[in-house]
Amino acid sequence: MVTGLLSRLVMGALLIAGLAATPQDVAAQDYDMVIKNGHVIDAKNGINGVRDIAINDGQIARVASNIPESSAGQVVDATGHYVTPGLIDIHSHNYYGTEPYRSYSNGFSALPPDGFTFRAGVTTVVDVGGAGWRNFRHFKDQVIDRADTRVLAFINISGEGMSGIHEQNLNDFDPKMTGLTARRFDEIVGVKIAHYSGHDWEPYRRAVEAAEMADIPVMVDFGGAEPALSLRTLFFDVFRPGDIYTHAYGGGGSRRQAVVDDNGILRDGMLEAQERGIIFDIGHGGGSFFYPVAVPAMEQGLWPDVISTDIHVGSMNDGMKDMLNVVSKIHNMGMSLPDVIEASTWKPAQVIQREDLGHLSEGAVADLAIFSYHTGDFGYLDSNELLMPGTSKLQTELTVREGRIVYDLNGLAAPLWNE
Amino acid sequence: MWLAVESVKSWRHLLPEAVDRVHHFAQRHASWFVLVLLFLAGPRTLGAQSVDLLIQGGHVIDPANQIDQVMDVAISDGKIARVGENLSGLSSDRVVDATGLYVTPGLIDLHVHSFWGTDYERTSDGINALAPDGFTFRAGVTTVVDVGGSGWIDFLTFKDRVIDRSKTRVLSFLQIVKYGQKGTPYVQSTGNMDPEMAAERAQQFPEHIVGFKLAHYSGHDWEPVERVTRAGELAGLPVMIDFGGATPPLPLETLFMEKLRPGDIYTHAFGGQHDADLTGSGRQAIVDEEFQLRPFIADAVERGIVFDVGHGAGSFFYKQAIPAMEQGFRPTTISTDLYGSSMNTGMMNMTNVMSKFLDLGMTLQEVIEASTWKTAQVLSRRELGNLTEGAEADVTILRLEEGTFGFVDSAGLRKNSDQKLTAELTIRAGEVVWDLNGLAADPYVRN
Repeated sequence: MVTGLLSRLVMGALLIAGLAATPQDVAAQDYDMVIKNGHVIDAKNGINGVRDIAINDGQIARVASNIPESSAGQVVDATGHYVTPGLIDIHSHNYYGTEPYRSYSNGFSALPPDGFTFRAGVTTVVDVGGAGWRNFRHFKDQVIDRADTRVLAFINISGEGMSGIHEQNLNDFDPKMTGLTARRFDEIVGVKIAHYSGHDWEPYRRAVEAAEMADIPVMVDFGGAEPALSLRTLFFDVFRPGDIYTHAYGGGGSRRQAVVDDNGILRDGMLEAQERGIIFDIGHGGGSFFYPVAVPAMEQGLWPDVISTDIHVGSMNDGMKDMLNVVSKIHNMGMSLPDVIEASTWKPAQVIQREDLGHLSEGAVADLAIFSYHTGDFGYLDSNELLMPGTSKLQTELTVREGRIVYDLNGLAAPLWNE
Repeated sequence: MWLAVESVKSWRHLLPEAVDRVHHFAQRHASWFVLVLLFLAGPRTLGAQSVDLLIQGGHVIDPANQIDQVMDVAISDGKIARVGENLSGLSSDRVVDATGLYVTPGLIDLHVHSFWGTDYERTSDGINALAPDGFTFRAGVTTVVDVGGSGWIDFLTFKDRVIDRSKTRVLSFLQIVKYGQKGTPYVQSTGNMDPEMAAERAQQFPEHIVGFKLAHYSGHDWEPVERVTRAGELAGLPVMIDFGGATPPLPLETLFMEKLRPGDIYTHAFGGQHDADLTGSGRQAIVDEEFQLRPFIADAVERGIVFDVGHGAGSFFYKQAIPAMEQGFRPTTISTDLYGSSMNTGMMNMTNVMSKFLDLGMTLQEVIEASTWKTAQVLSRRELGNLTEGAEADVTILRLEEGTFGFVDSAGLRKNSDQKLTAELTIRAGEVVWDLNGLAADPYVRN
């Protein structure tokens, strides 16, 4: 009886509320969020100008010149800022764990992603080689399935992943098991080989064989050999177009060739390799980005195809710092802002054959970042801690992952406390 | 100023008298020690006038030594070698120009959760705690205190995995629950709270364990508070209270004036619910439902209760902090309550939380003191948090940026500000561990 009365009262209240609602209020249900007046850089869609972006149900609903504020539940004013697809870091190490002597494979050298991604505008990371076919499922359970960051993976050709001496165990480089595992999991977007020492092409050929089984690219960290193996052979005889040479501005010394020789002259075939479709990836890390290599190489026309961090415990606090610092560094070295954004969004999405990512097309997952662009006196360090001054720097203002705000540096989306 | 941290001393008499006397002697005669050491070191140190690192022209704020002016800081062998107005007579291969920047002792974050691991269900040894080094140095922090991550049983795992493997100095408040911050239901069982064993473990590792923590207990029951302070008394260490919740709420006045000892720490000082008495459940805030500072708070401060920020994801509300600060309240110590769920919220990091209090009316000197020297005193670790000659060289260089900034509280509400602190350079035991813009780096020269 009382319940019946209550429910009638509630129904009545709802009816009155419904009658009082104006058409605008009804329209307010159109979008969850609108980001207003930001300068949008979306390479895939050829956008480089001020647009509004509407987000609904975790997807990009609309990109247009003027989307009414009244149509959205939440409005973010991005005036004076850049709005880009969420950055994709194609070289990361996230298979963290507590096992001694396992380094990047359930060990102490890798990092749980979320504390390092969103604050740098990154929404997708690719763990390159942390897990091999034998421990990939453990990696998926421990990291991939529990992170808010989208975590994809290059599976290591070594069955035990990037776990120290196992990376030298050619007997455990099984292309068939690696390829089969890669086929089974959507998160696996490539095959990695790293740190192999030995004057021997066999491990690289096995990585390519596994990748062919799963129709995915290979990423090579060229390890060390005595004498050094030829970059030219790697690029023209081992690699297929679309395969990735990471640590592109690293190397040098007797065990690994740099892309330039001792006089800073670009080696024969480097530009032709890029022309052939070989992907040059930064993979900055703690020891793989040197100004004496990068500056002359870029001057002679070898620009990176993709920008990435190689973030791990040993690189997070040095010259690398985070994705946005690396992006800002490359921008200061002469690559235009639209080009560095493309090299950290749409280009890596294409390289890992995930063309659903890295752009702001209507219907795409709403992963995006808002950056402020600061001018002033900044400094950028290479892996030898050498300083290059810079005049600009990007800062993450706000990051959205699947429609949800996951980082908001200055409270762009937050209401004032006393209103 | 009613912040009498000195009263922390009142429980220090519990330490063995001899230890205390040595400590006292060392403090009084620190400069003589340094002179004698310099003499013993011989002509190499005195004659060559060369140091490992020289920071020039920065505005030094070192509250322990009442320094608040432009000075140079020289570092050698991982220690502070000299602090003086003009050390240009010294030479160094590494010179940092800190003109326009602030040079402070390495920041001490009194409230973090560092006992990381892979257990999905737990806070301690679990995925919601964070390995410190990726979050400390970039925010100017050189020392963190993990508060309650491990209990007496799993402290050894914590030590092996975190303390011994981190570059950041990691101290511990031992959780009174023997298994650490394992989450409900473990933290709800007083049977798991063993003051004697907790004190035993603390006395076994005095270089690491600096207090005890009680957290997240819900229940109208003083037993857990009594057990943790019992451990504190047995070991001669302070306790930190995260006051959980109760139905009806337990009175803060009883906690501050009867249960805690001077020097004990109340964390989440701007948390709780201002209307807890009206709803009849939860935790009282330091302000009442009219946003008036509760009258006994001044007495509690006078008594030596330490009020710690412990911002976290759910423990700093502008609606409480602004009126409390307007009515003259100041936190004793500034800290983050850093863990997975707070790192990407309005908390962000240590310098962000410090900037909030600068914005709320504390002076820069007060903010630095509440994040360095005062914290060291609360911990009874007076060798930290200062730039005294001979001290371990934990040094932070901060930039006070001018611009338009927004700070967000735990309710997702924003307050605008025109200033913000950023860590430019962090030095831990003499080693540069963070250098945002390459202040300490050599330039790249094109061949």
